[in-house]
Amino acid sequence: MDFKKTEEQELLLESLRTAYQRANLEEYFKACDRDHVFPEKAVAAMVDAGIPSLGIPEEYGGTEVDLLTQVMVAEEAYALGWPSLCWVNYSTEVDDILTFGNKQQQESVLNYALRGIKPFTLGFTEPQAGSDSAAMATTATKRDGKVYINGNKTFNTSADRAPYLLCVARSGINENPYKDFSMYLFPMDRPGISIEKLDKIGNNMCGTFEVYLKDVECDPSDLVGEEGKGFYQLMKNFEIERTTICSANVGMARCAYDEAVRYAGQREQFGKPIGSFQLIQEKIVDMRIKIENMQNMLYRTAWKRDNGQSISIDSSLLKRYTGQAAFSVIDDALQIMGGIGYVNDCRISRLWRDQRVYRIMAGTEEIMVHTAGRALLKEAL
Amino acid sequence: MKIVACYKIVPDAQDIAVRFDGSLDLERSEWIIGEYDLVAIEAATRLAEVSAGSAVLLSAGGKELTDSKLIKSALSRGAQELYCVVDQAVANADAFQIASVLAQALKKLEYDLVICGEGSSDLYAQQVGPLLGSLAGVTTINAVSKIDIQGNAVIVERTLEREVEVLQLALPAVISVTTDINLPRIPQLKDILAAGKKPVTIWSVSDVGALPPSNVQTVSTRAPSSIERQQVIYEDASEENIKKLALDIKAAR
Ligand SMILES: Cc1cc2nc3c(=O)[nH]c(=O)nc-3n(C[C@H](O)[C@H](O)[C@H](O)COP(=O)(O)OP(=O)(O)OC[C@H]3O[C@@H](n4cnc5c(N)ncnc54)[C@H](O)[C@@H]3O)c2cc1C
Repeated sequence: MDFKKTEEQELLLESLRTAYQRANLEEYFKACDRDHVFPEKAVAAMVDAGIPSLGIPEEYGGTEVDLLTQVMVAEEAYALGWPSLCWVNYSTEVDDILTFGNKQQQESVLNYALRGIKPFTLGFTEPQAGSDSAAMATTATKRDGKVYINGNKTFNTSADRAPYLLCVARSGINENPYKDFSMYLFPMDRPGISIEKLDKIGNNMCGTFEVYLKDVECDPSDLVGEEGKGFYQLMKNFEIERTTICSANVGMARCAYDEAVRYAGQREQFGKPIGSFQLIQEKIVDMRIKIENMQNMLYRTAWKRDNGQSISIDSSLLKRYTGQAAFSVIDDALQIMGGIGYVNDCRISRLWRDQRVYRIMAGTEEIMVHTAGRALLKEAL
Repeated sequence: MKIVACYKIVPDAQDIAVRFDGSLDLERSEWIIGEYDLVAIEAATRLAEVSAGSAVLLSAGGKELTDSKLIKSALSRGAQELYCVVDQAVANADAFQIASVLAQALKKLEYDLVICGEGSSDLYAQQVGPLLGSLAGVTTINAVSKIDIQGNAVIVERTLEREVEVLQLALPAVISVTTDINLPRIPQLKDILAAGKKPVTIWSVSDVGALPPSNVQTVSTRAPSSIERQQVIYEDASEENIKKLALDIKAAR
C-alpha cells in the first residue's frame, strides 16, 4: 500500500500554497468575516491559478483529475485558512450535472464552475422537510407544455450568488413520494423567485437563504435526469457532497491544530511553555490522532469512489466521524489558546464557529447513523 | 528566437536549521529550484511566447537534479525541453567551474539568448551569468530589469543607481535578470501533467567537455551569529537621539 502523494499531487499542492501566499489573504479573510461579505478577491486568485478547473472534463476547458486529488487540494486550502463554504472547486455540482444533466445544462453549469462561481444552490430542505427529505412539498405542475414550480425552500447556500437553483419537487405522478420527485435546474432571476437571508452564528462569508417559489415557469427541458427519479438522484448527490465537504473538516482541524501547537510551544506560564504540561500534550496527541484518522478515511472514501466502488456507507461514516472529530480538535485548539482563542482576532475562533455546521448540514450526524446503521446490518447478514 | 534559461537547484531555505556551532543542517531541506532562477525561466518562456520561438532549460549539478519531481517542476513553467549536466563533481563546484560546464553544454545547443537569474538562492555570488557569457564569448549583460523585442532586435533595460540604461543586444547574448522583471507563473495541473511528457536530455561532464580545476577553497560555511535584542527605545527623532542611536550601533558591532 502506498501512502505517498504522487509527484503531480505534490506539485499541485505547491502551486496552491504559492497562490494562497501571494494573495496575502489572512487580514482580508478577517475583514470579510467581520463584514459578512463573500471573499471575491481570494476566489479570483484561485481562478488565476486554475484551481476551479480541477475535475472538469477537458472538452469543457477543465483538467480531468480524480476525486482524491480534488479533496486533497480542498483540504490543503482549508488547512491554510481558507474560509468554510467558500471553496472554489465545485466538485459536487460538477459531478451532479455530469451524471444527470443534459448537454446544455452541462455546458452552462461547468462554465460557471470553471470560473469559480457556485453554479447552483441545491434546494431540498424545506421548513417541514429537513432530515425527512421525503416530506418535501414543493410541486412541479405541468400545464400548457410548461412546468410550474411552487413551494418554499430553505437553508439555501449562496442563493444570492448562484446563478441557478437545482430544485427537487414533487411531480404528482406517483403516490409513493420516493418515486415522485424530479429535479429542475432554472435561473435564480426567473419571475416568481424571491429570497430572504438567514442570520447565522457563523460562516459569515457565505450567505444562507430562504427561497420562495411562486409559479416559476420552467421548460420541460429544465428537467435534470429523469422524471420521478429525483429522490434517487438526491441520494447520489449526497454521497459525493458528504465526501467533498469533509475535506473542510480535515483541513479546518489541521489549521486549528497547527496554530495551537505552535502557540503551545511559545506561550509560557509558570515559567515554562504550556506545551510542556502533560494535560496540554494529551490534547495535542489526541488531536493529531483524530486528524490522521480523518485524513485516512477521507482519502480512502475518495479513492473507493475513483475506483468505481460504492461509497454509500463510507460517505455516511466519513461525514459523521469527521464532523465530530474536527469539532473536538478545533474545540481543543481553542482551549489551548486560552482567552486569546475566544477573541475574533484569533483565526481559531472563526473555525470554531464555522465548523459546527458540518455536524448538521448535508445530513445530520444522527441521520448518518440512520443511513449507515441499517446498511451495516444488512451487510452483515 | 531560441532562448535558454539556466537554473540551479538549492536546498529549501525555509527548512535549513542552524546547529549551535553555526554550521548548517540541511537534513530536512528539500531540493527546490532557486527562486531567482524561476524569474529567469519565466522571462525565457514569455520571450519565447511573444517571439514565437522556443525556450529550453539548462542546468548543471549533482544527481538530485534528475529527481523526477524537480524535473516536472522545472518543465511545468512553460519551457519545451530540459538539458542537464549531471555529475557528483559538479554538485560541489565553484562558480567558475559551473559556468565552464554550462558554457561547454551551450556549445551543443542552438541559441540566440541565454537568461540567468541574478544569483543563486543559496550562495548568491552573482558570478555564473557573467562568467558564462564571457566563457561563451558572447555579449554579456547583468542587472537586466526589462526585455523587449522590436523586430529582430532585443532591447534590454538596466536599472542603475541614477539612470535606466537602454541597450540593444548584439546576439547571441547571455543576460542575468533581476527579480523585478516578472512574477513567475504558478503552474496549473495541466502544465504539471504536460511537463512529465517533455523531453529531457542528461549529459555527464565528459559528454560536454571537462571540469576545470577549482580556484576556490571553502574553509567553512556558517550562519551569521545573532545577538540578544537590546530593547533600547529612543523617545523621538531628535538630533541627540539620532546621534545616540548611531553611537549605540557602532558600539554593538
Ligand atoms: C449553513 C447551512 C447550509 C445549508 N445548506 C443547504 C443547502 O444549500 N441546500 C439545502 O437543501 N439544505 C441546506 N441546509 C439544510 C441542512 O441540510 C438541514 O439543516 C439538515 O438536513 C437537517 O435538517 P433540519 O435542519 O430540518 O433538522 P431536523 O431534520 O428537523 O432535525 C432536528 C434534529 O432531529 C434529529 N433527527 C431528525 N430525524 C431523526 C431520526 N430519524 N433519528 C434521529 N434523529 C433525528 C436531527 O439529527 C437533528 O438533531 C443547510 C443548513 C445549514 C445550517
